[in-house]
Parts: sequence; C-alpha cells; structure tokens
Amino acid sequence: MTTATSTQTFTDTIDKSQTTPVWQPKIVAFLCNWCSYTGADLAGVSRIQWSPFVRTVRVMCSGRVDPTLVMKAFRLGADGVLISGCHPGDCHYSEGNYKAMRRVRLLRRVLQGFGIHPDRLRLVWVSASEGDVWAKVTDEMTETVRNLGQLRLES
Amino acid sequence: MDPDVHLGVYICHCGVNISHTVDMDECRQFAEQRTDVRVARDFKFMCSDPGQELIKQDIQERGINRVVVACCTPLMHELTFRRACQGADLNPFLMQIANIREQCAWVHNNRELATEKAKAIINGAIARVRLHSELEPMRAEVNPATMVVGAGIAGIQAALDVAEAGHPVYLVEREASIGGHMARFDKTFPTLDCAACILTPKMVSIGHRPNVHLKTLTEVEDVQGFVGNFTVRLRERARYVTPDCTSCGECVKVCPVQVPDTFEEKLGPKTAIHKAFAQAVPNTFRIEKQGRPPCKQACPVHQDAAGYIALIREGRFREACALVRRQNPLPFICGRVCYHPCEQDCSRGNVDEPLAIQNLKRFLMDWEAKNLPRPDPPEIKERRTQRVAIIGAGPAGLTAAHDLSLKGYPVSVYEATDVLGGMLWLGLPAYRCPRDIVMRDIHYIEQMGVEFIRGKALGRDFSLHDLFAQGFGAVFVGTGAHKGFDLDIPGEDLEGVESGIDYLRNINLGLQQRTGRRVAVIGGGNTAIDAARTARREGAEVTILYRRTLAEMPAEKEELDDARAEGIDVRWLTAPTAIIGDGSVVTAIRCVDMELGEPDASGRHRPIPKSHSERELPFDQVIKAISQQPDSDWTQRSQGNGRGTLILTRWETLEVNPDSLQTGVEGVFAGGDVVSGPATVVAAMGQGRRAAEAIDKYLCGSPLTDFTTHLPPPNPREGFEERPHENALPYSKTPRVPRTIMPQLDPRRRIHTDDEVNLGFTEEQAQREASRCLSCGVCVECLECQRVCEPKAVKHDMTDKVDEVKVGQVLIATGHQLLDSRAMQQYGYGRLDNVVSSLEFERMLNSTGPTGGEVLCKNGEKPRAIGIVHCVGSRDENHHRYCSRVCCMYALKFAHLVTERTDAQVYQFYIDMRAFGKGCEEFYSRVLREGSTIIRGKVAEVVPSQRVDHRGRNGYLLMRCEDTLVGRFREIPVDMVVLCNALEPRADSVSLAQRFSLSRSPDGFFLERHPKLDPISTMNDGVYIAGTCQGPKDIPDSVAQAQAAASRILGLIAKGEVLIDPIRATIEEKSCSGCRMCNAVCPYHAITFEREQSVSKVNQALCKGCGTCVSTCPAGAIAGAGFTDDQLEAELEAVLV
Repeated sequence: MTTATSTQTFTDTIDKSQTTPVWQPKIVAFLCNWCSYTGADLAGVSRIQWSPFVRTVRVMCSGRVDPTLVMKAFRLGADGVLISGCHPGDCHYSEGNYKAMRRVRLLRRVLQGFGIHPDRLRLVWVSASEGDVWAKVTDEMTETVRNLGQLRLES
Repeated sequence: MDPDVHLGVYICHCGVNISHTVDMDECRQFAEQRTDVRVARDFKFMCSDPGQELIKQDIQERGINRVVVACCTPLMHELTFRRACQGADLNPFLMQIANIREQCAWVHNNRELATEKAKAIINGAIARVRLHSELEPMRAEVNPATMVVGAGIAGIQAALDVAEAGHPVYLVEREASIGGHMARFDKTFPTLDCAACILTPKMVSIGHRPNVHLKTLTEVEDVQGFVGNFTVRLRERARYVTPDCTSCGECVKVCPVQVPDTFEEKLGPKTAIHKAFAQAVPNTFRIEKQGRPPCKQACPVHQDAAGYIALIREGRFREACALVRRQNPLPFICGRVCYHPCEQDCSRGNVDEPLAIQNLKRFLMDWEAKNLPRPDPPEIKERRTQRVAIIGAGPAGLTAAHDLSLKGYPVSVYEATDVLGGMLWLGLPAYRCPRDIVMRDIHYIEQMGVEFIRGKALGRDFSLHDLFAQGFGAVFVGTGAHKGFDLDIPGEDLEGVESGIDYLRNINLGLQQRTGRRVAVIGGGNTAIDAARTARREGAEVTILYRRTLAEMPAEKEELDDARAEGIDVRWLTAPTAIIGDGSVVTAIRCVDMELGEPDASGRHRPIPKSHSERELPFDQVIKAISQQPDSDWTQRSQGNGRGTLILTRWETLEVNPDSLQTGVEGVFAGGDVVSGPATVVAAMGQGRRAAEAIDKYLCGSPLTDFTTHLPPPNPREGFEERPHENALPYSKTPRVPRTIMPQLDPRRRIHTDDEVNLGFTEEQAQREASRCLSCGVCVECLECQRVCEPKAVKHDMTDKVDEVKVGQVLIATGHQLLDSRAMQQYGYGRLDNVVSSLEFERMLNSTGPTGGEVLCKNGEKPRAIGIVHCVGSRDENHHRYCSRVCCMYALKFAHLVTERTDAQVYQFYIDMRAFGKGCEEFYSRVLREGSTIIRGKVAEVVPSQRVDHRGRNGYLLMRCEDTLVGRFREIPVDMVVLCNALEPRADSVSLAQRFSLSRSPDGFFLERHPKLDPISTMNDGVYIAGTCQGPKDIPDSVAQAQAAASRILGLIAKGEVLIDPIRATIEEKSCSGCRMCNAVCPYHAITFEREQSVSKVNQALCKGCGTCVSTCPAGAIAGAGFTDDQLEAELEAVLV
C-alpha cells in the first residue's frame, strides 16, 4: 500500500477485514471535455483524492447529455448521476451548459415521478482549473448518495 | 462475439505512476476475459517507441482492428496512439483511451478500489471502441492572416515576427497608441537599458510595415469560426482625428480642457486632444470623448454650453461668442429668458449647485455687444433657388429662417404685427428681455439676407395657396399661441377683466392699457408672473392667486423670487369662483380655499375646494393668466387647396408629423407654440431647427427620415452617474464651490422702471463661475482644435466603426494591470501624500514624465529617504497568493536609480529576494554594494509622523515592520513610500476569455494548454497566449513567449492546412421529422431547415461537434460522430458493471 499522505476521504475508513463487501454507491459522471474533464485531470495531476465510486464518461459538452442517457444510467444500476460543465458564460460552445441546466431542472422533477430522489441527479460547474472543486463535488455526491441508499427500481 | 472485431488492450504502468496504485496483472487478466479481446498486454511505458511498436505489431501481425490504451488522460497522448495506429494502417479513430492515471491511479490510494475502478474504465473503453467506425479528419486551409490582440511588447514582437515572414497581421490595441506598459517604464532591469530606446524602434517598424494592419482604439467584439478560419468582429472607437494629422501640436495649445493623464498615472495633466506620448504609434492625435455633456444633451438646440464655458474659463471670450452663435440663432434672447434645461441636468448639481449656464451665455453676449458691435454674419456656402416662406417672426420662425438661410435658401418672414420677435416682444416684459436685445438677434438674422414682411397675417392678408402661387417651395407656420384661456366663472365679461397675454401685448406695444390700483393675477405660470411684475411697475398693488402650492407652480423659481422681492403678494391654494362687479366694473373676486388631493394625469396634485371657505377679496382689475392656445381662425380661411388639409387637435393646435413637423398640407411645416401649445423659447427654437432640416430634405427631394438636428435622447445622463469622466474625482469628493450670484437692480428701484433687473457678470465673475464646470465627458466640443488644424484632420463627427476581419490564427497578448493598493489601507495609498505605486514612481523617474525624471515629494521637495515595500498584494492570502515575479527586481532597479540620481537613502522591505533570471543575482549584488538598506520583513503599516525631526521638519512617514533577520521591531522614517503592487489579470479578462473560449487559471490569468509542454497554446485550437496575460513575467520572458507563439503561428501557416477532428453531427434524413428543434439549439447556426425536403441539415463547416442537437432531437435522427448514443450507452453500461 502507498504511504503517500492524502486528504482524508471516506475510503480510508473502510474496514478491510470485512469479508462480505458492504454496499458502495455507484455514481456516473458525465464530464464536458473542455472544462470539467480537464478539471478532473487537474485533480489527478495535483494528487487531490476523490471518490473512487464516481466513474466518468467524457462528452464534448454538458449540453450533449441526453435525458435518456441519465435515465439509462439509473436503469443500469447507477445510484447517482453527476453532470459537470463549464461555468455559465464560459462554455466552449457558448451556451451548451445552459441547455444542460434547463434539462436538469426538468429532469429532477421528472425523476420524482419515477420514485427517484432528485438529489440523485446533480449538475455542477467545474472549470479546467478547479481540480479541488471537482474532488469536493465527487465526495459530496458520494456522501449524498450513500445517505440516500441503494437505488432500487422496480422493473 | 463479433467475428469482425479484433480487440487489443494495452495497459500502461507509466513507470510506477499507475502500477503503484492499480494492479496491472488483474487489469490485464480482466481485459483478456472480455469478449472479442484477442490480445491484452501491460507495459512499462506505452508512449515509448517500444510501447507503440507493440500496438503496431499486433495490428499488422495479429489483425487487431480495435485498440484500447489504458494510460494517462486522452488530452495527453491520444494523438500519440492515434498516430501509432495510423502508422500500422489502422484508422486512428478506432482507438480509445482509458484514463486510468489522472482519474484513477493518482486520485485514489486504496489499491483494491482503484483497481476495481481501473477495470471499469477499461471495460467502458472496450465496450465503446467495439462500436467505433472509421472516421476521416476534416481538412481546412489556413488563412495566413494573423491577428494579435494587445500591442504591448509581446504583441508587437509577435506581430513583427509574423509580418517579417511576409504574412498579413492585424494588430489590435484598445489604447490610442501601441507600446503597452513597457512604454511607460524608464529603465529595465537587470541591464538598465532605457525602455524607450529598445521599444520605440520596434514600434516604429510596426508603423512602417505595409503588411501590419494596425488597429488602435479597437476591441474585439466577437469571434466566430475555427482554427485556420476565424472571423473576428472589431469595434474601432472614433479617434476624431484622421491620419492626415501631422502631429504639429497646434491643437493642444488651444484646447481649453485639462484632465489628469492616465498615461502619467494621473500625476500630470493632458488636454482633451492629445497624443499619449512623444513616440506614440500611430503618430496621430486623439480626442478623448466619454459621452456628450448633459447640458448639451438637454438643450433643444444642443447648444455647446460646456464648450463656451471652457473658453470663458480661459478668458477667450471672442471664440466663446463664435461658438454660442454656431448653434444658437437667438443667443441674446436665450441668455435672458431661456428656462435653461441645461442647468437642470448639469453634473455640477451633484456636487453643490448647477453652473449658471444661462448667465454665462448672457455674459458672453453682453461682452460681444460691447466688444464686437457688428458680428459678421456666417458665410453661406451655396445658394439655392427654391424660396421658403416663414409665417410668424417668433423664436420658432426666426430659428427656421436662420437655419434655412444658412443652407442657402432665400427666406421671407411674414409677421402679422408691426414688431418682430413674436412672444419675445409681445409677451415678455422689457425688464426681462430688453428690446434692443431682441433687435440685435433679429438684425443678425436680417444681415444673413432674410426678408421680413411686417403687418401681413396668414388668413387675413394672404392664404397658403397664395404663397405657393407666388412660387414658394415650402412654408413654415410658426404663428404661436396668443389667445388666453377663459376661467369659466361668472363675471368674466366685466370691465377690468382681461387676459394676461392681451395685457402684456398692449403694454409692450405701447397701446392704451389701463392698470388698476389693486390687481389680481390668476395663474402660476411665467405669464402670470410677467403680468404681475409689469402691473407692479405700472404702480399697482398686485396679488397672485394660485390654486395649488409653491411646489406645483410652473413658473421659474428665480422669477417668482424676484416678484416677491418686488412686493407682490402670492396666495397659494386660492381659486376664484366668481368675479363680482358693481354694475359693469370689477370690484372683487370671490375665492375659495383649496386643499391638495390625489395626483392627476399630469402628476400634479388635484386641488379640491374646502367647504365654507368662500370669501371676497377686493380688486379693481383681474388678469387671467392660466394658459394660452393658438388662435386658429385662420385655418378656416386658408387651407391646402388640393395639397391636403390642416388638422387641428382638440387643444386647437396644429397636428403635425412628430418627426418631420409636416402638417396635413404637403410642403407646409409647423412648429413652436402653434404645435406644442404654450411652451418655452428654446423648445420653439428646437422645433424651428427640426422644421428647417425637414424643409431642406423636402426641397431636395430626400425622404423625411433620419433627422440629425435632435441628438438621440436615450439613456439621459448615461455615464455621468458618479463622476463627470473616468479620470475625475467622484462627485462626493469634488471640492465644493458655491454658484456665482448675478447682481440685480435694487427691488425698491426697479419697480419704478422698465430697466433690466439682472445686471450681468463681470469678466472675473464669469471666469470664476466657468471654472466650476467639471468638463463632462472630457472633450466639451468647443471646436477650437478643428479651427486651428491646418491639415483639417480634426473631425468631431466621427463615429465608431465595426469591421469584420478574417484571420487564420489569433495571439492574445493583452497584458496585466496593477493591483489597486487602496484596498490595503495599512499602507495609506490614496490617503497619505507621498505613498506612490510602482508605476507612478516609474513615471516620476522617466525623463519624459511629469517631473522630468526628478524624484519629488508632493510639496516639491526632494525626499531624504525612500522606503520600497515589496509584495504589495502578491504572496498575500488576502489578495493574490502568487508571486508577481518582477517586483523584487524592479524594486532593486528603483534603488539603483534613486541612489544614482539623488542623495536619498533607500530602504527595501522584502519577504524573500527573488533574483531568478539571467544577470539578476549579479544585479542584486551590485545594488547591495551601492549601499541600499535591505530589511527582511513585511511592512505592517505606514503612518504619518507626529514628531518634528532634528531639522525642524515634520510631515514625514514612519514605516513600521519587524526585521525578521534581527528579530526586532523597527520604525524607519522616510519621506516617500513606493509600493510594489502585484500584477493582476486585467479587469476585462473574463469577457475576453468568453469571447475566445479561453479558460482561466485560479489566479485569473489565461490558462495555457499545458504548463510545461505547451505554455502558449490554449484549449481553443488556433488561439495562443503570450506575455503577462498568461501570468506575471518580465520583458525577456514575454518576448520569448511571443516569439514562440509567432513560430507556432508561422509553422501552421507553412503547413497551409489543418486537420480537424471529425467530431461532427449528421442528420439521418429518413428519421428527421422536420421539427426544427435542433435549428434553435445550435449555437453556431450550423443547422438549417431545407424547405423542399422538409428536413434539417448540418453545415459541416460550421458545426463544432458539441452534440447539443444530438441530445435535443426527439426522433434520435442526429448522430454525433465519435460520441454516438450507442457508443455512450455502451460505455455507460460497461463502467457500471
């Protein structure tokens, strides 16, 4: 194991002696190529620890994230979905992040209709220079989803 | 199993970077078990040649046709592995990176969890790449034209390098001259080169190169397109001086406005027309205009009030008079009776009281009457043949006559009475508007060739038809409003009841007019006051009855004050209900007290009678002055005869087109009171002016649109909310100076005479009053520069220009700004004299600066000791955490220059000395040897000393700090403190970043693509950054970066072609329902609707591949190459396993 010092995350608290694995949340994050994916990379370059339960999918723009993709993620077993784009006004494509913002607003309301807690979907703005912000966001989201528990959808 | 898919998975250890945290064997075994994976390998460095060779071999020898490389971020090595695939004849887009370093190995320290996550990421890539299809990159030509934004040393150098290679360069600079910060420095560290000596040759060669298109005073508004093919919209602010300028400087000698010079850090003044500095490029002067002065905007004839006021201040009365006459055909009259809307909007009113603008104009005209008894009429450049008839010689008619005559038309003015001036003569009493004054203005107009025909009235002596029959091309009707309103109460037909306007007319014409002993004047407007004061001069005891209160009274306050001073009684909230007579003669008025109710439509409170308050007041004459209306009887007798019909409103005024002032009869225009109802002199003049413009257009056959006589009114006082111009103190901090009061005739004397009440200013009074002007908007448009400019280069009517430029690449070199150290109150900047910023000190040291290179305290004395504070706002948690990099060295340079030029002792207060560059450490040693005192410790505060020193001087400053090397608290007395302010991103860097799709680092500077490997590129291909806009740096580093950027630019131009990732949207026409939702969401307008096929189509050249349309299409008809729904869904499913 590494001896490198790291920021304290909840992963440090996992009891490794446990034989039956405890439930851990699965979170999918859609990251825009220009700001958020680069920001997440920066967290890596700066060795800022973030939640290993967040799996990233790169898209060109947060505006690309189709509501059906989010629904599909939940159906495929995600307990939470993060969408991260450039800050308002900074979108590489001018306004894709605003499109994402409108969609997410609506989608969070629709989710409730399906019995999915709206907090399982979160839209955040992370710029290319905000590695620390990205790490914080993932940890927060993991904590939120952990508190909400495993998502059980009736098929 | 897909027999056509042969997958190879390559897992990189990245030395130990990945393998340290992620179990390589486990990942490889996991990959081997995935469907269609034919080979899975792990290797120490996949990016090395042997690593890439592995992939190539497998493609060639084992038929691998899909590649997954699990390694660092795709932003790092995607291109490397794509090229490797291409080298083995595999389409590069059949390769996918699994980012297991930045987003896995480096951010988790639990090996088990990290390995699990790495497996999921690899799984995602495998699932995705299976569905990849071959793509061909798009090719686009590179436009060799290049744009450089910002012309400091970095921008200048890059522009020269690109231009040297023979390509066109657009060099865009927002200031009036190129040069940036470097042009303001004196010497440069560590070599002590003179900044100007090394910079100006470069500036000059920018000016001389035919392929450098220099755009000064220009800013980028919008950027469209992509690498190789950008379209940039530029806005060039008006310079108001053309390139014909020979830089002779004559204009500076006559410019009356001086404001603090920002180039000199406000240590010295500059004139409104100026050149930034001696070696400025382009070598053209510039007029600084920051908006139209509110006084000029408010005036209906747009009198250049601020202009003549500035000239009065300078004592140049002759020029000031000429300027008044330029816009004002009735300057004498306006100096007396204008209601001066200019004063209401005067910015000085935000400080103390508005300027006495009207009185200043009157002073000028008095001066003219005394010193230039016969002013020359203006030169009329061209003569025209169409004649114009003007009906009514009031202010509207006279203005129209003046303006039309100036345009060359023969003008005839018909006046119904025997006197000229209209209401000016008939309505205004002589004590306000002496008759010789009226005649002076009219004579001037007569001298211009205007013909006056007295005693001829429209509708009585001639008709409109007669005029056209006589050959007049157009007619202006300005007959005024001369019919007084009735009160509609009993007793109005009694003898001794008359209208104010009739009363004044009879007196003014010297006709038979009885004035009673006790006179009541009913009304609260200026006519009421005029009638009351006239009756007072006729010896009557006068009472004004007004039904509202002082606050609602429409009369001018000065007039009312003067009236009361003359002993006129005013009764507010009193309304007449009947006039009572003894037989046929008035004896009293029955009045009722009023109270104010709710506001009515006009916003004034509606008066309501109080019950049981009726009483009778004894009077022997009643003058009704509640309002007037036009006498419209003539319209019955003079109609258009086939040219149209005159239409009257319900107030009996003429209905006209609000823009052109044309009546219902073609060729007949109208203005003044006959259109607006009773209004003011200057409002009538404004209409006369507009009508003249309309008549000119009408006679030239131009459409009656696009009028210029009235400047566009939107956003009144915009830009003048807090200060009169950018370089001025805010109103709250401007010293207060009371308004100069004009001397008046003693009230006891004046009621016995018709002499003028206001006596006028002396020259000293006028100059004192004029010096209160704040010069709103800097240039006050006195037009003196235009007058003296030999090559006729000054053009005050220039406007901003918007230009579109096509370029292939853009370099941003917009530089930095200095932190405003006012925020750090402990140093007293802005509060204590002799605490200066580094740039101020730099200007002080400069031989062309405000002190001619001498270091002087504010009181003009030489400082005995100077303290230099390092790290002001940098390396400071409260401001900027970064190091500003240049401060230590320029602080040492300051120390050297001060030691060289003065006897002052220099103290440096530093935290850490950073002498990082070539020759810098040596320079540091040299300055130490020269005897500077270097104290390690951050200055806690600078305070003014209360003590007197041994030479009996006080007023020095104490710098308090802890000397951390000695471990003692110290207090150093100095005469001057220099603050080394942090370099920080420019205030507008956010908006610039948005326009060019740039990212910014947490410190706010523009973010480079990679801090070490690509420090000049940005995330936006074809846009580069250089100089201090990327981060604080010195001149050598800025130049090096600029040259690096230039070589990148030249490299791409030489290549001539760019490959663009084929990440583009395409629409499957079969599935498109033609709903056009995609048309609306595309930020590049790349999708258009094809009406014939009823489907939408993507223009591939415009599409940038964001995919917003893909996610919007309800039919799923749009596919985004490289990021299709299938690919994303497969990846999603796989990472969730």
